[in-house]
Parts: sequence; C-alpha cells; structure tokens
Amino acid sequence: MSSTPERRPNLYALTWRLPIIFWQFIFFVGPVLFMVAMSFFLVKNYRMTEAFEFVNWTRMLTRGFFWDSYWYTVFIASVSTVCAMCIAFPAAFTLAFRASESTRRWAIFLLIIPFFTSYLVRTFSWFVILSESGVVNAMLGYIGLGPYTMLNTNFGTLVGYMTLTLPLVVILQTVTMANIDKTLVEAARNLGCSPLRTIWQVIIPLSKTGLIIAAIFCFILSFGDFVAPFYLGGSQEPTLPILILDTTKSGQQWPRAAVVAIMMMLTLFAIAFTGIALAYRKGRGAK
Amino acid sequence: MKQNRSLNFVLGIYVLLIFAFVFAPIIFSMIFSFNSQRFPTIPLGEFSTEWYAKVLADPDVWEAALNSLIVSCSTALIATFLGFCTAYSDFRYNFRFKGPYLALILLPPTIPLIIMALAMLAWFSKIGMSGQLYSIIIAHSVLTAPFAMAVIRLRLNQMDPDLEAAAWNLGGSEWQTMRHVIVPFCKPAIFSSLFLTAAVSFDEFAVSWFVSGLNKTLPVIVLEIVQGNIDPQVNAIGTFVFLISMTLVVLAQLFFASRQMKSIKL
Amino acid sequence: MSKPLVVFDKVQKHFGSFVAVKELDFEIREGEFLAIMGPSGCGKTTTLRMLAGLEAPSIGEIRLNDRVMNDVAPHERDTPLVWQSLALFPFLTARENVEFGLKMRGVDKAERKERALKWLDKMGILEFENRHISTLSGGQKQRVALARSLVMEPQILLLDEPLSALDAHLVIRMQAVLTDLQRELGITFVYVTHSQSEAFAMADRVIIMGKGEIAQIGTPKDIYRAPANQFVAEFVGRNNILSGKVASVDGNTARITTASGDFTVPTNEVLLIEGHKASFVISADLVHITLEEPEAGNKAYCKLISEEFVGSMVTLFLEDAQGHEFKVQMQERELSKIDPHSGDEIWLSWDTQSAHVLNEG
Repeated sequence: MSSTPERRPNLYALTWRLPIIFWQFIFFVGPVLFMVAMSFFLVKNYRMTEAFEFVNWTRMLTRGFFWDSYWYTVFIASVSTVCAMCIAFPAAFTLAFRASESTRRWAIFLLIIPFFTSYLVRTFSWFVILSESGVVNAMLGYIGLGPYTMLNTNFGTLVGYMTLTLPLVVILQTVTMANIDKTLVEAARNLGCSPLRTIWQVIIPLSKTGLIIAAIFCFILSFGDFVAPFYLGGSQEPTLPILILDTTKSGQQWPRAAVVAIMMMLTLFAIAFTGIALAYRKGRGAK
Repeated sequence: MKQNRSLNFVLGIYVLLIFAFVFAPIIFSMIFSFNSQRFPTIPLGEFSTEWYAKVLADPDVWEAALNSLIVSCSTALIATFLGFCTAYSDFRYNFRFKGPYLALILLPPTIPLIIMALAMLAWFSKIGMSGQLYSIIIAHSVLTAPFAMAVIRLRLNQMDPDLEAAAWNLGGSEWQTMRHVIVPFCKPAIFSSLFLTAAVSFDEFAVSWFVSGLNKTLPVIVLEIVQGNIDPQVNAIGTFVFLISMTLVVLAQLFFASRQMKSIKL
Repeated sequence: MSKPLVVFDKVQKHFGSFVAVKELDFEIREGEFLAIMGPSGCGKTTTLRMLAGLEAPSIGEIRLNDRVMNDVAPHERDTPLVWQSLALFPFLTARENVEFGLKMRGVDKAERKERALKWLDKMGILEFENRHISTLSGGQKQRVALARSLVMEPQILLLDEPLSALDAHLVIRMQAVLTDLQRELGITFVYVTHSQSEAFAMADRVIIMGKGEIAQIGTPKDIYRAPANQFVAEFVGRNNILSGKVASVDGNTARITTASGDFTVPTNEVLLIEGHKASFVISADLVHITLEEPEAGNKAYCKLISEEFVGSMVTLFLEDAQGHEFKVQMQERELSKIDPHSGDEIWLSWDTQSAHVLNEG
C-alpha cells in the first residue's frame, strides 16, 4: 500500500524513478532498436553503411540454409523442452509431495548453485566426460559396451541443454506443485482416483500455469544457447545462435546477423505469448 | 504401504540421479583440474597441480582475473544501485506507465544472451564505446539489474508500510528517512544483491566476449582456450572461478536468509 | 472553556471517486482527551492521518494554533502519531527508537540520550534500553512507541488504535497509563478507536463517525444516555431501541405506539408530529425488573433468554411476545434478589425521563 498522497512527483521521487529509465533507454532499448535498424543497413567492402534496404532480409529469408537452421533450432529446442519437462517431473513431484519442507528448501538451494557456476566450464567438462575415451565410455567399457560416439551428435547437444535448463525446470516445477492445495490431492485419492490418474487429472491441471512457464523458460534458454550445439553438438547443423556467431565474428555481416536475431526474438515472443495465453486461459474445470 | 515405501525409494534414487547429472560436470571439472592426464578418463591419472602452475604462470590469466574483478565489482555496484532505485519506486509510488517502467528493467534476462551481445556490440560501436572494460560493465549492469531489483523488492515487501510514514511523522524529511530507515532496513538485501550480481557478472561470457575487444575477462579466456583444443587449464580456471562464485552466492544467501534477523548491525 | 487547538473547517477527503470523509467541521480543544470512534471504514483513521499530514484534505482547511496546515509536509509538523502497527524501527534498539525523532531534528547526541533515557524511565522500560525491538513483549513495545512520540514533547499526541494488538488485561493497564500520562502532561490526546470501552473509559469527549461524517460529538455520558440518532444508538449498544408511530404529543411528553406496546417519552428538543414515525432508546442500565406487574408507567412483559456476566455486572437478554429483544444491565448483587432463570417471564419498566427520543435519519 502506498502511503503517499497523489502529488506531482517531486525531486525525491524522480531521483529514484529516473536512473533506470535513462540507463535502460540508452543501454537496452537503444541497442535493441539499433539492431532492428541495422538489419536494413548495407555492408560494402567490409564496412557497414547506414541505409534502408531490404536486401539483408531477402538474402536471409530466401535462402534454404537459413530456414534449415531455423527449423532445426525450433526442433532441437522443442525436443530439449519436452525432455527437460519429462525428466524433471518425477523429481519435482517427489520433492513437492514426498519430501519435507526443509529437504525441499535444501534441494532448491543446491539447484540454484549451477546458475552461478560457469556454464562454459561445465560444458567443457561434459566434452571431456563424453569423449570417445572419456569417463562414460570407460565405465561402459568395463561392462563390455561401447565405445559410443556421443559428441558431435544431437545427444551431445541435448546433454548441454539439460545442463543449462534442468535445474531451473526442476525448481519451477517443484515450487509450482508444492503450492498446490494438498487437500485437493487427498480428496481425489479419497474419492478413489488412482495415483497416476490423480497426477494426470488433478495435479497437472492445478499446476498448469507454473508448468507452462517452466516450459517457456526452458525453450528460451535452449533456443538462445550457442555453447551446447557448438561444443557438444559439433555445429554440423548450425543453430540460429551459431549462425549469428558465424555471421558476426567471421563475415563482419552484422546486418544479416541482426536479421537472424530479430527472427529469433519474434519466434520467442510468439511462443511466450501463446504459452502465457494458454497458461492463464480458464481451464475446462476439473471434472 | 510396503509398495508405497519401495516407490518412495525409487523416486528418492531418481532425485539423486538428477542431482548427480547436475553436479557431475562441476565435480569432474574439479577432479580433472588435479589430474595429470591431458585427456582425463577412468582410471584417473596421478595427482598433479601442473595445470594450476601453468595457469598461475600465465600473465594473460592474471590480467583477465583483474579485469573480471573490476568488471564484477563495478557491475555489482551499478546494478544494485539501479535495482534499489527501481525497487523503491515500485514499492512507494503508483504512477502512469508503471507496467512499461517495470518491463524496462525486467525484460533483459528473457532475451537470449547472444542477441543481447550482438545488439550491444553494434550499439557500442555506433556510439563509440566498444572494446572497453566499461563496455562490459555497462552491458552486465543491464543484464543483472533485474536480479538486484528482485532481491531488494522482496525485502521491501517485508517492511511495515507505516515505517516510512512513522519516520516522517517524527520529523525526518524524505531524504533523511531514506538514509536512516529505508537503507538500513534494506541493508541485508543490498549486500545480498551485491554478491549475486557480482557472481552473475563474474561468469558471463557471451556478452563479454562480443563487447570486450582486447580487454578479456576470465570467462572469455576460457572460451578462447576451449575453442583451441582440450586443455585442462580450463578446469583449473573453472575451479577457481567456481570457488569465487560459490563464495559470493553463499554470502548472498547468508544475508538473504538472515533478513528476518532483527539484530543485523553492519 | 479552553481555546481550540485544532480546527477542522469543512474538510473533505476523496480518493478518486471514493469519498472517505464527507464533511468534517469540528474543533479539538487544548488539553483534552478526544476519542474518535466509529466502525471500520468510517473515515476515522483518514481524519487522523490528515491531522498528521500523511493525507492532504481535498477540500477545506485544517488549522493548528490558527496556522493553516494543509500544505505543511508531515515532517515539518509536530504531531507525533502512535501507530496501530506501532511502526517501531526493527533495526534499532529501544533507546535508538526513542532517540529517532530527536536525531531527525538535529538534537545533539548527549541531549538525545538524556531525554530518551528519561522517557524510557518514565514508561518503566529503562532496563530494556539496549534491547532490539523484536525481543520485547507487546506491552513493552507499546511503551517504546509512546516514549518515541512523547520524547518530542508535542502539544498534541495522535493515537491510532494503539491498543488493538494487546491482550485484554494489558489493554486495561495501558488505558490507565494513557489517562495518567495525559493528565500529567496536560497535552491534547486524539485517540482513534473502534472500541467503545476504550473511548468511554479514557476520553473527555467522543466523536462518533459513520460513513465519513460526524454522527455525534459529546461527552461519553451524553452519547450513552442521549444518542443523537439511530446509528449512534446502535453503535453504542447496551441500550434498547424501540420504533413506532407518534400517537399523541402533550407538551413535554409524547405517546409512541410500537409493536411492543404504547410508551410515554420526553420530547426533549425533537420535533414529533402525530402519525409520523419515531424511535427512542432506553439505556440498558436504566431498566428495572420485577416479578409482579408494575402499577403504571412504561412496562413490557418479557421472557428471559440468557444472561452474560462481566465482572460484577450482568446483562440480561430478553424477548417480548412480539419477538423484540430487550437488554437489561445491573449489578449481579441486585439480580440475585430476584434470581430469574432462563425461560422465566418477568416485567421490565423504566421512568419516562430515562427514555430518549432519536432524531430520524
């Protein structure tokens, strides 16, 4: 509750309100808008000149390699989202319904740790672990299996994506499910609902919003990550982030990279809005 | 009942497996950093501090470490200041366009880093601010201010809404009240925010790599080493970075958890 | 009569389209203990906050010592408030809390400490000087809050339901502390509460507010014996309200026909017209009970429903044949002479002068 009378903002109010406006306009809105403008610039003799031409857009959007890359990225990020959601669910279910309050809090604290460790170092670690003669293949070797090629495959990419997204997805799912009114779950069981049906017909509908938000975050993270597909997936099929990287770093084709970036943002907005609309749509009611 | 217990057991194991997967790369990286093998595998090679020695002897690493330190400290200060201002404005005032105002600070983390990196690089080049250490600091402040805002806003939520008015009522001007009531009340969250934003900044590599030019930070060095080939120096740096980040996170958590404690006097 | 310290001159307060305070026109006298009472949402707290400068009046003027206060910032006023939530600073010790206002006013350290200690001592909590707020009990916090306001040595102290969080026995203790303090200091107390017992026990004058307006101003006795209208009568409680039509008017008395019978009432200054609606109240403690039917006067035959004991006082709840509820309050000692039981039928009666006709509206 604000206890302030409605008055015109004074110096004091503006002191706290304005810094972020200035800062974000110059260093956040500015860059993003400039990137949009840049997608219409021209590059001549490795130099960017300001212009308003659609050539970058037509170049990129009429090329097969862009659309291959686009659909591959959508595909692999979707797979990553489905995997993360499915792998995380039993763990989140256990933490939400079968663990004590303090265990849950500790588990969440532990899962926060990876956010603050270098994703790069973790990816490199997987690179070594999964390599032809790495730890995993060595262990499989003891029981007479392998060696398997895990690097430079979609599997490798997915391991990287899971490293990035799984902790967040488990946390979001756990928190969502832990907040469900437990008496509803007990009521369903009491009315003779089998455990699996209870999950499907009571728990999932009740935690729909949180689950969809977890999925959206997972998709955004996977969709925008260049490290996993580059180092673990071998970038044989470049994802959009790798395309941005290559276009920017090697070709000096910033305007084309901007086109890719804008396409990525539009896709993410579309997915996020659809997801949020789904999440907050009134369900048909639990019958 | 019996079935239930075995089911619980299976689910417990499953949770442990998830944790094993999440922590495996961190733990293996630490183990590998003390391993003599260039291509570490099982069975492990001998214990060795060779990689650490190598890292410590590299002047580039020292320079990058110093850069990282400067960047993360400056980022923490700027982001926490911005986060505090925004959290307080949100707490205290209702004004038109408050929704877009909050979106302005909360949006950056939802945009993939590679896109932010490209946009920042292009913009900084345009306005002649690219390739400097301060370019990274500015970019990181944009990225981490939302975290600072969230931490401090949560703290303000716990404040008795009458507390500020009580200070005015006792003769404190708005500025005095800020200094003697709001800031002391938020102190634990401010420290928590400083450590958190420093930790995030310390690990960020994509934006740093794009806008840093020749002023490399530690994660950028790691990125460049990794691009070359397998070099266990990465593990040594990684372990070092991990320890610093962990210290920061644990400190942040301590301040965050001790919020309820009334007797904090710093 | 002492001169007015505060004047509310046709004050209104709107929040958007919501009218919190419709029109306030009253004075606060120097050195009085004034209680502002009313149900929640009646605008009493808004009134207090306007006095402290935390809300600005939308229309009208508030004057303190003849100075218009409308545009004076809260921190430039000398109107300390004791908050319902206490609003003690959790990161400071008891003494630092008391010193806070002095520090804001630039009083030097030594004097600050001396004055704070004096007030902590006066409130009987000197030993908790260095304790943090969260380690104090409810009653101790209350005293710190009082000391924090009083150390400013104001002319007027505002209190916003300060006792609402305390246990019942502590409330009685703190009431005594507050009245003693007010007498001793001789300063004005403005006390906002929804509790009638608190207001009536402490205040010299009471303002009853309802729906953003003043329903009645007067001494507790005035309000209790002679409520101005039905709203006040119902809010004050502990009385019997009877409604009906005026049958006849005869000089200073009138006859009113109700479902429970015909009764004679003094007209006081209220204009009664034959055939029009009218209501009157009789305080519950002015009703007598007897087993035999009284000879004449105002009477009602009722069945005893239940009894409620509070200390040595007892309240009887009764119902007449028409289902109208009556309340009778008396000393337990008196009741034992008759000793009725639930379900017994007894006679109620009262003197004509005990009844009080209400203004309609």
